[in-house]
Amino acid sequence: MGEGLTTALIAPPDAPVPLDTAAWSATLEEVRGALARLAVRRAGAGPFRVTDHDVRRALGGENAPAGDEPFAWSARTARRTIGLAAVRALLAGDARTPHEAVRARLADSDRAVREGSRTVSPLDRWAASLPAAGRSTVAAEAVTWATRLWCALDWTALGPTPVIGRDHWWDSPHSALLALRGRADVRTGLAHLVVLSGPRRDSVRSELALVALVESLRARDSAAPGPVVGWWPDSGHLVRVEPHPTVLTLATDAVAHVLAGGPVARAAA
Amino acid sequence: MSTLPPMVLVAPRPLRRPSSLAAAVPAGGEVLALLRGDATERPSFDPGLAGGLRAWLEDAAYGVVAHRGDLAPPLVLGPREVLGTAPGGLGGMTVDGRAADGWAADGLAPVAGGGVGVPDEVVVARLVHALFRRLVTDGDIDDPLRDALDALRAEGSSGTRTSAHVESMSEPARSVLGAVVARHVAHLVDLVPRFAPGWMPRTDDRVAIPLAGGRVVLHGVFDLLVGLPQAGTASLCALGLSTGGSWARERRSLHYLALLETLRSGTPPFRLALLETASGRYGIEDVRADHLRALASHLAAWLAGVARDRPDGGEAKVPCG
Repeated sequence: MGEGLTTALIAPPDAPVPLDTAAWSATLEEVRGALARLAVRRAGAGPFRVTDHDVRRALGGENAPAGDEPFAWSARTARRTIGLAAVRALLAGDARTPHEAVRARLADSDRAVREGSRTVSPLDRWAASLPAAGRSTVAAEAVTWATRLWCALDWTALGPTPVIGRDHWWDSPHSALLALRGRADVRTGLAHLVVLSGPRRDSVRSELALVALVESLRARDSAAPGPVVGWWPDSGHLVRVEPHPTVLTLATDAVAHVLAGGPVARAAA
Repeated sequence: MSTLPPMVLVAPRPLRRPSSLAAAVPAGGEVLALLRGDATERPSFDPGLAGGLRAWLEDAAYGVVAHRGDLAPPLVLGPREVLGTAPGGLGGMTVDGRAADGWAADGLAPVAGGGVGVPDEVVVARLVHALFRRLVTDGDIDDPLRDALDALRAEGSSGTRTSAHVESMSEPARSVLGAVVARHVAHLVDLVPRFAPGWMPRTDDRVAIPLAGGRVVLHGVFDLLVGLPQAGTASLCALGLSTGGSWARERRSLHYLALLETLRSGTPPFRLALLETASGRYGIEDVRADHLRALASHLAAWLAGVARDRPDGGEAKVPCG
């Protein structure tokens, strides 16, 4: 499992012909224009942002997640945030095992809440409020999440400084009300890894294309981003989205679809 | 190569240790020693085994799709469906709150009249399972029933519903439940080894294998996995927890999970442990290619049954190797 995933992250772009940079730049300009029109059309409708979750809800069909229940912290909703912090600690050498790293992250939450830190998060407050057995469940869930990611990769092959769990946002220059989020769990200089959950679905390429779109829009030199790799730990399956002009179009169409859907376009908190 | 004989029942501790001196030695130490075994001798598997098993199951799954049609919703199958596993092993229940195999997400089965029927064994299984995770993660349990309810509440909506159900019970009923759970916990504490963090113990590791392009999904949850995955080498141990039900069925569920792991990573766990908290008995065995082939044969036959309009699948019996 680890060998294949690492290879998918470090392999050069897999395309029959090299990327046509002129076509890429032209498509990127078209996409910027399309997003500008979408932003203007939505002006006055309130702030909104588009995430991979929205894309999945809009395009996932029968596999779309239900959107009825309001968000609430639980061991399941907290596992990624805590698990990513744990992997970051492991990579930095601050912890030797996922268990130790998760414990340290939860201790940080306790300390931040106890000391009234200004950086305390809602997750910190929730975790610190739990009784010991509840915290144990949260830790168990996060340990499993972190262990699967930690054991799935040959970290030494990924280059000097993989970035763990930093979401990238693109804010529309045409409207302060439109923002797109690119979520990736591991970013190397060459590629982006997204840990996926739920069933395999047709919408996954659009979800991953959104990551590529955000990277492209943020790039100062309009350069094409590296491949985006989606990985299901439950099955070991991989999906790799190569940089190609059609990826930009695919993601922009998905954004338009989300915005046209109305109910799935969430107001920014 | 097999280093352990087929899984045999190890008698419950009270029957095996009449002296107080022996009673001071927890069974978990033996479980750990047997799981570890001789590190120089690990069963080897044909590198082509996983591909062959997958091809076998893909063929059967495509038969199902051909029968049900491309537009039919995915057929999501857990051990409860394909093996008839009783809820004592929780093998058919997902931890993510989905009622993938016919049970309500919280394990509470709806009954006529709009109420909620509560199979006692399901509630006990969920409580004991929550305490098992606590034991593996923290190494201790304070007040079994209180800890279990606190743990379930933190799980999210399905756990909260289970805890709310228990809290709605009458005081005498809760006392009885508490006593039952305490009996399980006594065995649990005795049986569950204390794994060093370096073994990478992780609980509730979910496996979901899509077949036929995702139109058929085989899924299950390892109660506990230990070991570092190594490409091409069987390097994991899996531990299953049973709070009741047939020993043979629970063992078969472990073989089913071993098959899913083979399809996920290319190699199965090399060793399996089954702990039964109702009695304190346990068994440990090596995974053999025969186990995997037997399960794949059963699943292929079961899927062929679905393709022949038998909603309960095909063969009910499977050789246990």
